[in-house]
Amino acid sequence: MQSGRLLKYIAIRLLQAVPVIFGVIVLCFLMLQLAPGDLATVLAGESGGASEAYIAELQARYGLDKPVLVQLGYYIKNIMMFDLGFSFRHSANISELLAERMLATLLLMGSTLVLSLGLGVLAGLLASLWVGTWKDHVISIVAIIAYATPLFWVGLMLILAFSIKLDWFPTSGMEDVVQFYEGWDRVVDIARHLVLPAITLSLFYLALYARLMRATMLEQRGLDYVTTARAKGLNERQITVRHVLRNALLPVVTMAGVQIGGLLGGSVVVESVFAWPGIGQLAFEALFSRDYNLLLGIFLISAILVVVINLIVDVIYVLLDPRIRVGS
Amino acid sequence: MLKFYQNLSVITATFLVVMAALLMPAAAQKKGGTMVMIVQPEPPTLASYLSTSGPIGQVAAKVYDGLLEYDMDMQPQPSLAESWNLAADGKTLTFKLRKGVIFHDGKPLTSADVQFSIMKVAKVTHPRGPNTFRSVTAVETPDPYTVILKLDQAAPYMMMAFSGYETPILPKHIFANGDLRAHPNANKPIGSGPFKFTEWKKGAYIRLDKNENYWKKGQPYLDRIVARFISDPSTRTAALEKGEAHFAAMGAVPFNDAKRLSASKNVTITTRGHELISPVAELLLNTRRAPLNNVSVRKAIAYAIDRKFVIDNIWFGYGKPATGPMSSNFAPSGLYTDKVTQYQVSDGIARANKLLDEAGFKKKADGFRFELMHDSLPYGQEWTRFGEYIAQALGKIGIKVNIRQEDVARWLKRTYTDNDFDTTANYLYNLSDPVVGVHRAISAKAIKKGRVFSNGSGWSNKRVDELFDKATVEPDLAKRGEYYAEALKIAADNIPIIWTHEMNFPTAINKKFKDVIVSPLGVYSNFDRVYTE
Repeated sequence: MQSGRLLKYIAIRLLQAVPVIFGVIVLCFLMLQLAPGDLATVLAGESGGASEAYIAELQARYGLDKPVLVQLGYYIKNIMMFDLGFSFRHSANISELLAERMLATLLLMGSTLVLSLGLGVLAGLLASLWVGTWKDHVISIVAIIAYATPLFWVGLMLILAFSIKLDWFPTSGMEDVVQFYEGWDRVVDIARHLVLPAITLSLFYLALYARLMRATMLEQRGLDYVTTARAKGLNERQITVRHVLRNALLPVVTMAGVQIGGLLGGSVVVESVFAWPGIGQLAFEALFSRDYNLLLGIFLISAILVVVINLIVDVIYVLLDPRIRVGS
Repeated sequence: MLKFYQNLSVITATFLVVMAALLMPAAAQKKGGTMVMIVQPEPPTLASYLSTSGPIGQVAAKVYDGLLEYDMDMQPQPSLAESWNLAADGKTLTFKLRKGVIFHDGKPLTSADVQFSIMKVAKVTHPRGPNTFRSVTAVETPDPYTVILKLDQAAPYMMMAFSGYETPILPKHIFANGDLRAHPNANKPIGSGPFKFTEWKKGAYIRLDKNENYWKKGQPYLDRIVARFISDPSTRTAALEKGEAHFAAMGAVPFNDAKRLSASKNVTITTRGHELISPVAELLLNTRRAPLNNVSVRKAIAYAIDRKFVIDNIWFGYGKPATGPMSSNFAPSGLYTDKVTQYQVSDGIARANKLLDEAGFKKKADGFRFELMHDSLPYGQEWTRFGEYIAQALGKIGIKVNIRQEDVARWLKRTYTDNDFDTTANYLYNLSDPVVGVHRAISAKAIKKGRVFSNGSGWSNKRVDELFDKATVEPDLAKRGEYYAEALKIAADNIPIIWTHEMNFPTAINKKFKDVIVSPLGVYSNFDRVYTE
């Protein structure tokens, strides 16, 4: 009965997502029109100079000479038919460009999420159990430092220490371009390349989740149900694992869902430092080269990603806390 | 006795085999290896026939051959053309093509491909080509291995424009089909060069593999070249230091890290390989506006700038003071002169103050004469510092400079379309000849709204234009030199642009790799002679 309601709930949420995504597209499209300079001038500029006939030809070719609303109309019509358009700058279909880069970003985001949530929850849990002791202080201080350090600096320091000095990991990139490994060797190779960027991107969120986890654990432990459980004769271990932990996890999961958008933003910096071929770098380049078709495609994908992940988070709530009902 | 001879012959034979074994690897040692080059930023496409954007050429020049190559003395050398002949009047240029050259798809290269590449590609879709080849009226192909260019007037500067970087030879059977501006092979180039395109993983790398059928027997020596993209400057330095990447040029090596890299045991730094590029850095003045329309103000600004300080402190010593729009790399051919007004003098500040006082721009109560807005060139941190230096240097002569920082698209529009600026900075490549690289900076023809990297100052001079027109068609180098000497003198006297220095880019090369920079085109050459030890 619960699962049937859950499916209905998911369907309704997905339907509700359509106008949200539509709004994102229209808003982004109109906002991009405010930026001065267009793709044609940038392309010409990259060529180190070009005649005005050449630039006019480029503008006509890319439809930049048409009114804004006409351009928007075309774009929405194409989106409806799942056609994200063509990037003239890259001479490639945008869906192909995005698919290639999305995998790299999802890999980085996924491992970051697992690493930061896993270690963050563990660190917060331990700190709350050791509250007031030196171990708690160490965890808290490390968390504050990790929280306050800029990502790019952490990245560079990790490269300096673990790549240049210790020679444990490669400096940058996603795979070895001298060997071009295949099969399992390639998986291992990519994993080695993933370590430093994933740690860099994780540190900030790890600190955030650790502090949040510690605080909610302490808060929950003071509540009445804990006293009840104790009176019931449960030992401390059972109370922590079966009752307090599950309740304390809710705010952390909420936070993780909200942070997904931020994670995409943070990955721009990390991707750039580690030359990780993900979507963040692509967005950055697209913005500076006024490749609006591509940029809109990236916005669309990011919007969908955020909507879907928030839906997943809401479903996780239900699994964590049976008291939360869906669709009522 | 017989035994002795037998032994002797065995020993001799053994000796010969050992010697041969020792010598063989020495000869074969050159072969093999992968070179990882850092290309920055990632090229948008690989269509070097559509865009002269630096990163495109750095990769595409390894795939596309040209008719000629150029040696370090700027002399044309045979490439796809085995020999060539320029008629006495300069109006007929005949190339004899090499036989047996095949494209990467196995089809032979003939005169039809050359005709197509010049008439349909270079003259039409290339950003610089229509200018370079404007005198070419027809390309005749009497047989598959003869190409005759017919010109309506002599164009001596054209002889330097036949490299695979500047005028790539494309296979007609592929690129003549469909729209050249949106061709499916734009990102999958097929040429006849030493390396063939294998794979492009966007955001990560482009992989080029050895062309086993290259017309130079035994070459290229490398098995593979991989172009990698690393946008963070510090990470680029780390990758070079560690030996993960082996080569970086043209701004891919951060100026502030060049010294550290040259101290590293893996890397050498060279500044050669820019002789056919010759970028000259400038402070661009908008002469359409007061007070920059006043030549005394422009001279005062020119006197106030310490070029040596700029080179040593902003570009970490990579550069040489400039005397005008032309690089001293044209000194060997006799086109360059430094016999012009010099603004790098020891009492520059005093002279500048005097000029401004005399021109009626007295210092006001706040110590300033007037204000200017400087738009920093959005091409890297050096240019931001350059803007800060300009503000400081001009502050000393009572000109208050405010700095504005915008992105490339906005800056291009402001400078070359709207002309809505006071001062900004830029650097123009001199390229193969002043006709291609210098005229555009100050000729009247190059004042056109929307045309980027052209005459941004808005200044022009009838006599200069006349001299440029003469120098364009004059085959005699000495005479061309005289025309340029006069034009450069007029430019320096009017100083519409303050040319600060000839830029030298540090190129980082891993010490394992030899014969990397063997062409004045440097990174834009085809690397067919690079080998590893």
